[in-house]
Amino acid sequence: MTDVANRPAAPPRRPRGLARGALIAAALLYLGGFLILPFAVVFTQALARGFSPFVDALADPAAVAAIRLTLTVAAIAVPLNLVFGVAAAWAVAKFEFRGKSALLTLIDLPFAVSPVISGLIYVLVFGAHGWFGPWLAAHGVRIVFAVPGIVLATVFVTFPFVARELVPLMQSQGRDEEETALSLGATGWQAFWRVTLPNIRVGLLYGVLLCNARAMGEFGAVSVISGHIRGLTNTMPLHVEILYNEYNPTAAFAVASLLALLALGTLLARAALESHAPELRHASRQAPAQTATRTGAVA
Amino acid sequence: MSIRVDAIRKRFGDFVALDDIEIDVATGQLAAILGPSGCGKTTLLRIIAGLETPDAGRVFLLGREATELPVQKRRVGFVFQHYALFRHMTVFDNVAFGLTVRPRRERPARAAIRAKVEELLGLVQLDWAAARRPAQLSGGQRQRIALARALAVEPEVLLLDEPFGALDTQVRQELRRWLRRLHDALHFTSLFVTHDQQEALEVADAVIVMRRGRIEQRGTPAEVYDRPATGFVHRFVGSSNELAAERRGGALLVGPLPPIASSGPDGRFSIVVRPQDLGLSRGGGGWPGRVVAVRAIGALVHVEVQLEGAGPDPVVAEFSRERFRHEGYAVGDAVFVTPARFGVYPPEELS
Repeated sequence: MTDVANRPAAPPRRPRGLARGALIAAALLYLGGFLILPFAVVFTQALARGFSPFVDALADPAAVAAIRLTLTVAAIAVPLNLVFGVAAAWAVAKFEFRGKSALLTLIDLPFAVSPVISGLIYVLVFGAHGWFGPWLAAHGVRIVFAVPGIVLATVFVTFPFVARELVPLMQSQGRDEEETALSLGATGWQAFWRVTLPNIRVGLLYGVLLCNARAMGEFGAVSVISGHIRGLTNTMPLHVEILYNEYNPTAAFAVASLLALLALGTLLARAALESHAPELRHASRQAPAQTATRTGAVA
Repeated sequence: MSIRVDAIRKRFGDFVALDDIEIDVATGQLAAILGPSGCGKTTLLRIIAGLETPDAGRVFLLGREATELPVQKRRVGFVFQHYALFRHMTVFDNVAFGLTVRPRRERPARAAIRAKVEELLGLVQLDWAAARRPAQLSGGQRQRIALARALAVEPEVLLLDEPFGALDTQVRQELRRWLRRLHDALHFTSLFVTHDQQEALEVADAVIVMRRGRIEQRGTPAEVYDRPATGFVHRFVGSSNELAAERRGGALLVGPLPPIASSGPDGRFSIVVRPQDLGLSRGGGGWPGRVVAVRAIGALVHVEVQLEGAGPDPVVAEFSRERFRHEGYAVGDAVFVTPARFGVYPPEELS
C-alpha cells in the first residue's frame, strides 16, 4: 500500500485525498447528528435542573419498581436465551438434520417481526379473549398485563442474539475438535465443557451482552403486553414514556440516561471483548451475510 | 486381524458413499486407503472409528465386534487432516487430554500424566513446545502433536484421515517417513486415508484402492502398481499414458498408427501404458512420432512424443539418464514408440 501511495507517477492523488476527506466528514456529520447528539441530549436534559432532581427521579418508588422489574425480566430472559442459543447453535453448526434451514430462518423470525406484533401474539394467545385466556383465568394464572407476559415477550424478542452470534462461529470451528475429544475417551458432556465452551466463550459473552441490552431496552412488545400498571408492570423504557407523556422531561431523561449508560457499557464491553479475541470480530461481521444467504436459499 | 470391516454400506440421501465394503488389516500393519476425493474413503475411516454409523455391515476391532460400540470405547486414535488441536489449550494440555478425561478411578496420578506427556512430546521431538499454543506451531509440528495426543491413550488402532494432506511437499515427505519409523518402533496397527498415490506406495504395507464407494483392488504396493486389477487402478496408481483405441479382429488400432496385436473382443478400448514401458527408438517399427519436449532432471529423463495422427496430447516415455546420454533425443527429432507392457480396458473403467 505504501509503495503505491509513494509512487511518483500517481497523478490523481489530490482528488482522492479530497474525496476521502469529504467521505469522512459526511460520515462524522451523520454520526454526530443522528447518534452522538441525541445521546448527549439525554444526559444534558437529565441533569438540566441540577443533580438532586435527577436523584429524586431515580429514587421515586415507581422508578425503583421499574428498574427492579427490568432487572428481573433480564435476569430471566437472558439465561433462558443463553441456554437456547447455545443449544440451537450447537444443533445447527454440528449436526445435519432435516429442517435445519427452517430452524435457522425461525431463529431470525423475531428480527423480522415488528416487536408490537410479538407483544400482540401473546395477548392473542394468553389474553382474556385469547386461546388459553379463559382456561388460565379459571386457574388463576395471570400472564397478560403481568410479569410472566413481559418475560415471555422479552424472551421472544431477544432470542436470536446468542444463537446468531454462535452459529457462524461454531460452523467455522467445525466438529473435528469435539470428535477428537470423543475419540480420546471424553464423554459428550466433557467434550462440551472442556472443548466446545472454551472455544465459543468470547462469542457467547458477546451474544449475552447484546441480548441483555435488548432485553432491558425492549419497548414495543413489552408495551403491548404489560398494560402499563405503574409500580407493577412498568419496565424502564415504559416508565420513560409515561414520565415524558406527563410533561416531566427531567425525570424521563433521568431514567433514560440509565438506559443510555447501559448502551454505553455494552459498547465498551464489546470493544474490550473484541480486542481480546480478534477472531470474534471476524465471526460477528460474517454473521449477517451468511444468515442472509441462508435465508435466501430457503426462500 | 486388527481391523476387519464386513459388508459395510452407507448412503447419504441418494448418494451411495460405501457399497458392500470389506477390508482386513493385519495386526501391526500400516495400511492405506487410496482413492480420489468423494470415493468414500474418509466415510469408511469414520465408520471404523465410530464417528459415523453404517447403514449395514459390521466392524471388528482386534477380533471383537465393535459395530455398536461408541467411539469412546473403541480404543482408536483418530488423527484429522487439519489436526483438530484444542486451540485454547497448551500443547501439554492437548496431549494430556485423553488421560485427564478418564473417570477418577482410572485416571493416572498427576505426576504420571506429566511423565507420559513428556515422554510423548520427546517422541515427536517437540518437548520444547509444551507451553505453546497450537497457533504458534507450524503445520508439521501441529500434526505431530495431534499424533502424540492420539498415542497418549495407548490406542490399539490408529486411524489417520489424510494426515499429511495440508502440508507442503517437503514436510509431507519427512513426516510420512517419520510416521513409518514410529509405526515400526511402537507396533500399533494403522490405517490411513490418502488421495496421494505416492504417499500410499511409499509408506504402506498394504494398499486398498477405492473408487465410487467400492474397492477396486487391495494388495501390497508392488502388486497394485505392477498388476493393476482394473483400468482405474492402472491409471490412478503411478503415472501413465492413456490412448483411445479400437480392437478389430485381434488388432489394436490407435488412430491411423500401425496396429498392434491384441486378443479379445472387438470394440472401443483405452490403452494405459506407464512411461517406463514405452520404448523409444530412432529407427525400426512402432508408432511414428516427433519429440516435442525433453525434461532431463534427476536420474530419469522424460521425453514427450507427439504421435502422428493420434490424440491431442503427447505421450511421455521415461528412461535412464544413462540411456539418454547415449541416444540423445532432442526436440523435433523423428522417433518410433513401442509399448512394451500395457493394459487394455473398456473406456468406462477409467472414468
